Amino acid sequence: MKPLLVQLARLGGAVLALYAALLVITLVAVPLARGDAGPLDASRAASSLYLTEPKYVFMERGRLNTPTDKVLVLGASNSLVGFKQAELQRLLPDREVHNISVGGSNITQLGQIVELVREVQTPAARRHDTYVLGLWYGVFASDQARWYTPDRHAGDTDIDIERYRYGFFRRGESGAVPLLPPRFLSSGAALIHPYLVADQLARDVTQSLRERLSGKPHKLTDQERNARVVSDAERQQYLAFWRNYMGSVDSLSDAPFARLRRTVDAIRADGGKVVLVDMPIPRWHAQGSTLHADYERRMAQLLPELEALDGVAVLRLSGDDDDDFSDEVHPKPRVTPRWAEELAALPLFHDDNQREDHEYRSTLRQADAGFSRRIR
Amino acid sequence: MAFTSPTFLLFVLCVVLVLGAVRSPRARAWLFLGANGVFLASHASRPIELLPLLAFVVLGYVLVEALRLTRSSALLWVGLSLVVGSFVWLKRYAFLPSSLGLPLVYAVVGLSYILFRVVHLMIDAKQGELGSRISPLSFFNYTASFLTLTAGPIQRLSEFERGQGETAPLTEGVVFRCFARIIKGFIRLSVVSAIFNYLFATVSGRLLDPQATLGWSQSFGAYLMSAVFYTIFLYANFAGYMDIVIGIGGLLGQSLPENFDRPFAARNFLELWTRWHITLSQWFRTYVFNPLLQLLAARVSNPRLAPYLAVVVFFVTFLLMGVWHGASSVFVLYGLFMGAGASVNKLWQVLAVKRLGKARYKALGEKPSVVYVSRGLTFAYFALGLSCLWLSLPELLAVASRLGASGVLLGYVGVSLGAAVAFRGWDLLEAGLERLRGVAWNAPGLVAQNLALGLQVLLIVSVSSFFHKAPEFVYRAF
Repeated sequence: MKPLLVQLARLGGAVLALYAALLVITLVAVPLARGDAGPLDASRAASSLYLTEPKYVFMERGRLNTPTDKVLVLGASNSLVGFKQAELQRLLPDREVHNISVGGSNITQLGQIVELVREVQTPAARRHDTYVLGLWYGVFASDQARWYTPDRHAGDTDIDIERYRYGFFRRGESGAVPLLPPRFLSSGAALIHPYLVADQLARDVTQSLRERLSGKPHKLTDQERNARVVSDAERQQYLAFWRNYMGSVDSLSDAPFARLRRTVDAIRADGGKVVLVDMPIPRWHAQGSTLHADYERRMAQLLPELEALDGVAVLRLSGDDDDDFSDEVHPKPRVTPRWAEELAALPLFHDDNQREDHEYRSTLRQADAGFSRRIR
Repeated sequence: MAFTSPTFLLFVLCVVLVLGAVRSPRARAWLFLGANGVFLASHASRPIELLPLLAFVVLGYVLVEALRLTRSSALLWVGLSLVVGSFVWLKRYAFLPSSLGLPLVYAVVGLSYILFRVVHLMIDAKQGELGSRISPLSFFNYTASFLTLTAGPIQRLSEFERGQGETAPLTEGVVFRCFARIIKGFIRLSVVSAIFNYLFATVSGRLLDPQATLGWSQSFGAYLMSAVFYTIFLYANFAGYMDIVIGIGGLLGQSLPENFDRPFAARNFLELWTRWHITLSQWFRTYVFNPLLQLLAARVSNPRLAPYLAVVVFFVTFLLMGVWHGASSVFVLYGLFMGAGASVNKLWQVLAVKRLGKARYKALGEKPSVVYVSRGLTFAYFALGLSCLWLSLPELLAVASRLGASGVLLGYVGVSLGAAVAFRGWDLLEAGLERLRGVAWNAPGLVAQNLALGLQVLLIVSVSSFFHKAPEFVYRAF
């Protein structure tokens, strides 16, 4: 038994020594900050050390723990592309605007991101949050269709994958269990620095090979996207893709709508606010999708109910011109300033005393109720 | 309990430490039974899910004991039918009506490899080669050893029993070699196989995407790349698993047989199977090929036909080996493909020797250009044949019809030539590194050796973090 323990100690020592050396070397070669300070903008993920949107949001969320008014844009890729952080920030100068949208998200993943943000924030910081949730039928994809694929452990979302990747969470019976307390997130990120650098290096070196093998078209420039016209054949392909992607051809399931309601309730319970944005898609897409019709039917009932709640606003974003979109769902760059203006024009963002008003009205209501009870 | 999970490593560490602290063979056997039980239990969420597997082991034990006592030929045939029938039934082979299946979810992990061991014991018992009675404890530990349950190697009982007696205490040198072997296994499994699994998934995803509109040349390229990537993935995956279990076996004082010996150095298809999944090939040679050949030889009196008998028997043996891999119809096709490869290879050998004579045939086979072309042809045939393991029958037919016969043939030639060039390059690289090592590297000291291992551990962890899902040990499915 002794030789075994001795070898374990030697190997452990060697691994620790090498890792310490790698940590020092990578920290010197690629400093931690690397220009990632400032508001969170997941569209910059690819140029950061985190490379992907889920990892960027997961690792950088600690920066949201500040007692300042924040607008947190959250949705799928159309929210990331459609609400540009810089455009929105210019229109809302007295708030911090962050875009923490993650491409391919469904409602479950959006709920997880809200949970992750809440996890790192103090109760005081949560009261300053205004979440802008970008909704369209695509984010109501069932978990079964979206996350039960062969490339991942059954049911893991992209956010779950980041939770487990470096051992910050472990897989529990009923979901992810944190191993690293959220307050140590930045220390954890520093400790895994050699892995982040290695990941970036590997991706940079293999980028061209991976692009060739996957056969994915190159990323279009803003100019190309503005000029793009979707052909009839492409329209049919997109419609077929979404029918397959959603896991159902006819109707959406109830579960994501219930989950959305729970997420809204959780934000409100912390004193935060929510803007629910009904995102437009091109007319040809809307007309060709049975699921979009079901989404509209459900939202026609749900949105007024949620809008009636304190701290919730609804924005039905205008514009479904086919020419406003570079594909089946993403707006052209020339359209996004208009989207930002519509969002920024919401009264919720301009009533400086709204929180005080809200608290005042709540106090009045409580006083009224007490008074009524005493009268009876 | 996946082999790449921290839980498995912790389990192994506990087993090695506990067994290492006990010297009594009997106590070690009981502790090993506990370890096997824990490993089996990790594959089921309820105890009832293990019952069919345990019943299969019990059936095997009863039959082996009955055959040892009676040595009856009739009982052997009845027993073999019972065991193989139960195996086919429990594995839910596609040709069986689904209504015949057990109405519960149950574990079949390692069932194929238990079958091999049980059949081996039954035949040896009938032939009187077992000697004394095997205790139920020893039988269970042999048939369901956590080291070899999932995918072998298929150890013989005598080899297994040698590791169960008094074992020599572990020395530092042995422990280091075992650690190095285990880490090498993880490099193959978690680094090489993970990378090729990623490449395979990316390219085959394009090939099989119903939305993708690939032209002929794109389909052609995607199919060939998928076939090559899958073959390398499978090799790294399976050989890595073997390194891990052989290394762990060494720490437990058990010497497990090797299952791979540079398979892509094989110059023909028959040689490939003496280098790939060696213990499976040996099992089929002992229990299928040899008896069948003897049977045929006894019935065929014309000596001119004798060399051709092996052609037929190779076909049958490889067909059975292919069918064993899976319960669906595509595996019959796989068996036919492997059987055709083996019998054509044998036929070529017979005819070439006849035409050229043994000496000239041997000399021809030693020419470097012939060696590399032969290695390329062997690799390409094997890689294309393995398509049956990653394509369903409709997908396989769709790919074949898209490429056409000439496309498949062109692909075979292309992969063969590409592989021949790659093998030549690889051998030159290896020889160069070997020369460099001889000149520049004296025997490394203890610190350097452990730092090299440590670096490999960091590489494993690093690459594992790139791929969020470690590749599953693929032969587990068989």
